[in-house]
Amino acid sequence: MSDYRKPIMKKLSVLLFLLAALPALALDGTDILKKVDRNLEPEAYEMLRKLINVEPDGKRKEFVLYSVKKGRDKVVALFLAPQSDKGRATLRLGDNMWLHIPEVGKPMRITSLQSVTGGVFNNADILRIDYAAEYDVEGTEDDKDQYLLKLKAKTAEVAYDRLKMWVDRKALLPVTIECYAASGMLIKTLRFKDTKDFGGGIRRPATLETDSPLYKDYKSVMLYAQIKKREFPDEVFSLNYLPRVEDLRK
Amino acid sequence: MNRRALALLACLLGAGARAEEFTFDSAEFAKKPFEFGGYFELKAERAWLNRDGAFYQLNFFDQKQRDTLDRKTGTLKLDGKLTQGIASLKLRANAEVRSDDLATEHSYRFDEAYLSLKPNPGITLDAGKVALNWGKGYAWNPVGFVQRAKDPNDVELAREGYTMATADFIRNFEGDLKTIAFTPVVLPVRSQTNQDFGTPDHLNVAAKLYLLYRDTDIDFTWLGNGSRTPRFGIDFSRNLSSALEVHGEWARIWDYEQRSVGPTGAITTSQRDATSYLLGLRYLTERDTTWIAEYYRNGTGYTESQSQDFYRLAGNGYSRYRATGNGALLNMARQASQSYARPYAGERYAYLRASQKEPFDIVYFTPSLTLIANLADHSWTLTPELLYTGVTNLDLRLRAAWLKGGAGTEFDEKQNARRLELMARFYF
Repeated sequence: MSDYRKPIMKKLSVLLFLLAALPALALDGTDILKKVDRNLEPEAYEMLRKLINVEPDGKRKEFVLYSVKKGRDKVVALFLAPQSDKGRATLRLGDNMWLHIPEVGKPMRITSLQSVTGGVFNNADILRIDYAAEYDVEGTEDDKDQYLLKLKAKTAEVAYDRLKMWVDRKALLPVTIECYAASGMLIKTLRFKDTKDFGGGIRRPATLETDSPLYKDYKSVMLYAQIKKREFPDEVFSLNYLPRVEDLRK
Repeated sequence: MNRRALALLACLLGAGARAEEFTFDSAEFAKKPFEFGGYFELKAERAWLNRDGAFYQLNFFDQKQRDTLDRKTGTLKLDGKLTQGIASLKLRANAEVRSDDLATEHSYRFDEAYLSLKPNPGITLDAGKVALNWGKGYAWNPVGFVQRAKDPNDVELAREGYTMATADFIRNFEGDLKTIAFTPVVLPVRSQTNQDFGTPDHLNVAAKLYLLYRDTDIDFTWLGNGSRTPRFGIDFSRNLSSALEVHGEWARIWDYEQRSVGPTGAITTSQRDATSYLLGLRYLTERDTTWIAEYYRNGTGYTESQSQDFYRLAGNGYSRYRATGNGALLNMARQASQSYARPYAGERYAYLRASQKEPFDIVYFTPSLTLIANLADHSWTLTPELLYTGVTNLDLRLRAAWLKGGAGTEFDEKQNARRLELMARFYF
């Protein structure tokens, strides 16, 4: 090879290397987070969940919820079981949350840190909206076959000030999320398990387990079923519609 | 090879155990055209009677004098819903048997029974007996013009509705104004229909306009002139942070008629405009204590001196009856007591409730303490409560109440001085 070609080849090699690395570079933390959101659930869907609270002695309490979501931040969940909670419905619009108790009739505002079910899951976990709607990506690290996303809440209304989210590099699904208060205290750890094909192109973990240093030896589990894409009119996500959410079920 | 087989067996057993550990058969929860449920409740109460109280004297003047009253109550609530296309029939029935040292009473009624049509999620039409719940207050709702008053000591207790035709029109938008909902109501009052709402032979018209504007719930409520005098109200509710909610209500009532006892004991009726309002907050601490605080100004309430005039009339009537057997004055007080006996008939109240979620690591256990104070006469009632919901479909509640105040004050003139109550509710 003649000498004058050597620098050109060198530049070409660097260019090719950069081009090859481009997809990885292009997938920045925010893109990963948005993909995680869409891989977990379609933007508009309905689904069933069983929520199990497990006490240290193994005693359990179970709840079954029918949930619908639209857009990045509109969620409704209706209790189907147990009978004592049947008909209760919760609505979330961004940072706003309400609980409708049939006997009371009137929706009450609730806050993200409270829990309508007791146990380790709070309302923000039960009425979860897109992570990208609530958090900004502060940093991204490579951690073997996972990405580690460091997330910071966009506003003070968000339940957890910071999240550490480990994401499966291949599936772009969360594996573990640690939730921290503004003081830096670890509030809880969420573990996603049992990835399953729900049909309609939805493949995601079917089990979410959580424990918390604040609830020693307690555990809460969410099991997912019948996740289906479905569009709903905006009016479904309003206070006046809360008592009628049951009518959405087919 | 053997080790591999053992490892495989262990994995299979492990997977099987885990699958067995948490299972979810979602087919069990398929929607049915007819849904049915409800609860059965047993309640045992002991009341320590306040023999010096005006209301004890009015209720027990001709009976054997007693220090305590024991009562047992059995309540059956049935809830059913039949759905067919866009139509549904909703029924909520209440049957109650009460037995105490004085009598055994039964009551049966429908709290709700209405037909509902939902041509689309933005429109709902209801006709029948419907329980509406307007207002954002936790203990009181001055803007709740077409509903029965709630019991601040048991705010989650289901209430009986009124027979009406109502509709709901909802529209959602993008931007600062996210939702508008309009709820018109037509409520007839006849001798056999809604007779406790107000003056009969009126077709009452009411409406509520709801806005979700900049993350704040805002309602405008209105009731036209009819069985009750006209009134208008505004309420709001907003989350200021993930742990703090604030709310308020304001209501203006025109030509409100008030029956009151004068200083001489004469009963008069006056007419005036009245303004009621309420300000409140709900705060969740890092230790999972929920605080609810409300200040309530009841524009239709009695002043401290008006209340004292009534208590004096009742006391004088009782003394005269005991001394001479003449019940004329006592009967006057009994007639006036219909107005004065309504709960929270004074002008200014404070409500404070603290409830602690799952203390001492006992899950589903919620102790709470509620204080309701009459700020005008400084009397108060304190209600400690223990609630346990750890057994599926069973609620257990132990509750006590102390009523305290100086002579001639609201909570010192009540029938009870203390109360203890044990309740078990089974859901099915």
